This record gives sequence, C-alpha cells and structure tokens, in this order.
Amino acid sequence: MTDAPAAAADSTVKIRLEDLVKHFPGQSEPAVDSLSLDIYEGEIVILVGPSGCGKTTTMKLINRLIEPTSGRIFLDGTDVTHSNPDQLRRQIGYVIQQIGLFPHQTIADNIATVPRLLGWDKKRIAARVDELLETVGMDPIAYRRRYPKELSGGQRQRVGVARAMSADPDVMLMDEPFGAIDPITRDRLQNEFLRLQEQIKKTIIFVTHDIDEAIKMGDRIAILSEQSHVAQYDTPERILVNPADDFVADFIGRGASLKRIGLSRVRDIELQEWPTVPDSASHEELRRALESTDKSAVLVLDSQRRPQRWVNLDHLRRTPGNRALIEIGLPADAVVQPHATLSDTLNEMLTARYSLAIVVDAAHTYQGIVDIDTINDAVRGMRENERGRLRAANEQGEGVASRP
Amino acid sequence: MDDESWLQSFLTYLEFTWEDLFALAIEHVIIVAVAIGIATVVGVGLGVATYRTQRPREIVLAVTGTFLTIPSLALFPLFIPIFGLGATSVLVGLVMYALLPIVRNTIVGLREVDPAIVESAQGMGMGRTRRLLRIELPLAWPVILTGMRVSTVVLVGIAAIGAYVNGPGLGNLIFTGISQFGSARALNLVLAGTFGVIVLAVLFDLVYSLVFRLTTPRGIR
Repeated sequence: MTDAPAAAADSTVKIRLEDLVKHFPGQSEPAVDSLSLDIYEGEIVILVGPSGCGKTTTMKLINRLIEPTSGRIFLDGTDVTHSNPDQLRRQIGYVIQQIGLFPHQTIADNIATVPRLLGWDKKRIAARVDELLETVGMDPIAYRRRYPKELSGGQRQRVGVARAMSADPDVMLMDEPFGAIDPITRDRLQNEFLRLQEQIKKTIIFVTHDIDEAIKMGDRIAILSEQSHVAQYDTPERILVNPADDFVADFIGRGASLKRIGLSRVRDIELQEWPTVPDSASHEELRRALESTDKSAVLVLDSQRRPQRWVNLDHLRRTPGNRALIEIGLPADAVVQPHATLSDTLNEMLTARYSLAIVVDAAHTYQGIVDIDTINDAVRGMRENERGRLRAANEQGEGVASRP
Repeated sequence: MDDESWLQSFLTYLEFTWEDLFALAIEHVIIVAVAIGIATVVGVGLGVATYRTQRPREIVLAVTGTFLTIPSLALFPLFIPIFGLGATSVLVGLVMYALLPIVRNTIVGLREVDPAIVESAQGMGMGRTRRLLRIELPLAWPVILTGMRVSTVVLVGIAAIGAYVNGPGLGNLIFTGISQFGSARALNLVLAGTFGVIVLAVLFDLVYSLVFRLTTPRGIR
C-alpha cells in the first residue's frame, strides 16, 4: 500500500508485513485488508488510528495470536507465517494494556516466564530477574517476592515491561501499554520508557489510539484508517507538517504546532545569552552588569556556575549594600535540562516570574536561557526546514514518499 | 424418661462403644474421601474438556445436575445388580452425587480467569497444556476447592444412607437403631450415628480450611 519513507532506505528491515489479510468468519468485510508495512530495526513504530480500525488485530497478526487469512510475515528476512507460533512468540516481547500479570505468581516468577520456557538454568534466571527489576527502576530485594496485587498500577506496568524483555527479544509488541494508568504516572512511564529504549534499541511496535502518545513515543507512525489501510507512514515531524490527506489531518487534529513543540528538545535549539554574575560579586559589580545590558535582571550563579537568584535594580535599591547577592532578589526557578521538550519548557516559563526558562546540564551548571522568542523561532524553523526538504525532494523527482 | 436419664444413658452407651463408633467413623471418612477423590478427577476432567464449548458444557451440567435429583434411597439399590451389595455400589452413587458441584465450579473457575492473563501467557509462547496447568487451573483452584467442599458436606450425609445397601460407615448405627425401634438402645444408636455424621462434616470443613490455606498462593487469597 505505502512505499517506505525515503529517509529509512538505508535501515535494516526487521519485520516485513506483506499483503496481510484477516477475514474473521461471519463478517462480510475483512478486519485487515491487504496490509503491507516495513518496520525498521531499532525503531518505535506506532500503529495509531480510530477505534475499530484494526490496529490491535494487526499487532496480533505479527505474533500470530491471530492467524492471517492470507499474506506473509517476515522476521529478519525469514518467513515466519507458518513457523511454530509458540517458538515465535518466545522471541517477541508482548505487553498488553491490562498487563496480564499472573496474580498467583511472585514478581520474580512472572518475569521468569519466558526464560523458563526457554529452559534457562535457575542461576541465570535469578540474575536476569534482578537485572530487569533494576532496569525498570524497582529494587529487586524489595519486590521480587511480592505478588502483583501488592503493587501499584505503575509498578505493575513496569513489571509487565520487564517480563516482556526477560529473554532479551529483539522485537516487542505493546498494545496500549500505558492506557490504563493515570495521566501523571503515564507521562513518567513514557519518559522512562523512551530513556530505556535509547539503551536497548529494540524494534517496538506500539499500538495506541492517542495521537499525542503516538507523536511523543514514535520514531515512525503508521496512521491507520478502516481495515488497517495505511493512511500515512512517516516520522511524527513529517506527519504533523505534511499530513497525507484529510483523514490524517483530521486525526492529528488542530494544534499541530503545539504538538510539534512537544517533539523538539531544548538541546536542539539555540539558547539565549544572558548577563550573569558570580554570587561573590559586589552590589556595585552587579549594578554595572545591569547597566551594560538591555535585560532587566541579572542571573546570579554560585561558584559551580549553578543558577541561584534573579536580581534587578529594584532589589538592589531596597537592600543594604552588605547583603550577599544570594540573599536578595528572586529564586532562580523554571530550570530545565537539555533533554526537556519545548512544551515542557514552555510550561515552566508560563509559571515562572520572568517568563524565562534557565537551561542547565546534568550537573546543574548554567548553559543559557530560553524565552518565548526562542521557541517561536524554533517552531518556524522546523516548519521551514520541512517545507524546504519536501521541495528539494520533489525537485529531485523522488516524490513525497508517504503520499499514496 | 426425663432429660437427665436420656443423656445419662447415651453417655454410658458412648463409654462402652466408642471404639466401634470410631471404627465406623473411619469407614465413613474413607468412603467419602475416596468418592471425592474420584469425583474430583472425573469432574475437573469434564470441566476442562467442556468449559470453552457451549453445547458440551450445557450437556455435562444437565446430566450431573440430574444425578443430584435422584433420591439416594433409590439410587444405591440401582447398582446392586452390577456391583452387588456393599461399598462399591455406595461409592459409585456417591461419586455421581459429588460430580455437579465439582464440574460446575471447575467450569466457573476456569471461565472466570481474566482473558488478559490467558492472552499474555499465550503471547509469551506458553502452549495450550502449559497454560492450563500453570495458569488457568491454579487460578481456578480456589473455586474448584469450594466445589469439592460443598460435595464433601453433601456426601457425608448421603453416605449414611449407604448402610441401607450394606455400605460402610456411621449409617449402620442409624439403620440398626431404626430396626430396633422401641428398644432402649435404638435412640442411642440413632443419636450416635447422627452426631457422628455432624462431627465428621465439621471436621472435614476444618480440613478444607487448612487445605485452602496451604494450597492457595498468597497472591490470590
């Protein structure tokens, strides 16, 4: 149906779906109609679409929980359409929305499910269980002997992910894994999962009905319409900038620009310079710094260049000259790190006193400032880059890859 | 006969015959336990075989349900032509009575297992048999055990009727008592048999509580 996006031409195809059809008995229309899709190694591919579009069915075709009526599935170039389904599933991690932990087994036993099926020895399994619990941020000693009902929803979800990764599969299928979790925990788990994926680089097929989750989590998004027809298969940026048709445009909805700033990170944009003084400076030095700039306040840094206070002329006027800089002015809040998204940064700015966000590195050392103009420029730049790229692609006669 | 002499007479009777009573109680326990054992194997087997298909499931439940409606006084003699008088005929009857609660609870227990749990097991590459043995049956176990418990209580009572066809157990006291109706011993015999059955039912229930504790994992208690 859809050609592979040009940018991925050099990546290895991990999973190839070829003309997959699923026709459930007793239904006039097929649930999945002739779906072809290439999924590249190490990417998170999101299958997203309205309810009933066949995205979950499509996912279950991959590990053959649902057997296709026709078509073929390739894993690493091997046709697995007719291989032993149990063997196939042991190579593919599987996480579902309800998680489906075994309530009568301990956390350790749950995680050990696939390694036991594969016949690992006890020592290796125990070591792997502890390693995985640590990977998902849970203390093995505290948790391995507990039962699922003794965990919170977020913890169960982590165990679900750990269980899916237990035999270190290259491929993981995740069906709305964060769907049943409260929004705050979901956001945290999504971020944790993205950080984890940076290390493990698995090929992940992720089903959701939530376009925002798709944009946040996906390296590539397949927007599916009825019967799993691929309306567009492309990177989130390109789908937002250039939706293939009205269906896609409708589905991503309004506020595509707002969504886009959820995609860019502080480290991708140019930071503003800002006048700073060390906290050991005198009031006189600070006043001179203020006079030599058009900014209304100066940022005070401590000896490790960590942001401490905002100080303006008013503050200086109101306090005796012997007060240390660290004790006057306003606290330097709204601090973000380079991996923060622009939308997180914007959020910080809106609640800060100066409508500025201070960027620091992991050691909390001052890096620069983001203000509203910086974000505006970044959004405009993204849009222009994308248009330019598309123009260049058209001129080279490649055509727009994802257009049908 | 005033109350005190009635009780006095019964206690004196117990004092002299407790060894016989104990022997009969043991017989009673054995025939009930064996019947429950057989009924569990057959019942869980039938449940496992039919819980996913509607027609067979309905048939099994209807048939085992019918067994339970046959009066025991009529059922036990039915087997005399085949198995003769005695324990075997009683055992077959008891197994039939025990089936319904066990089959029914096996089916209910298996069908109540969260489909998401079964799906995740399947999705991780657990085959049909392993899924049944490692996931579905353990999760259905508390419900199955409850079925066995109900069957046991029913059987402890019904087993007493088995003495009517020369079966073992406490029923013998009751039937002997009835046959000697009017004599001084008759009441003692009937009382001893009846109390014996009640005490056994309570003891069985205690054993089930213990078994439940020992065999149900902490995660689903």
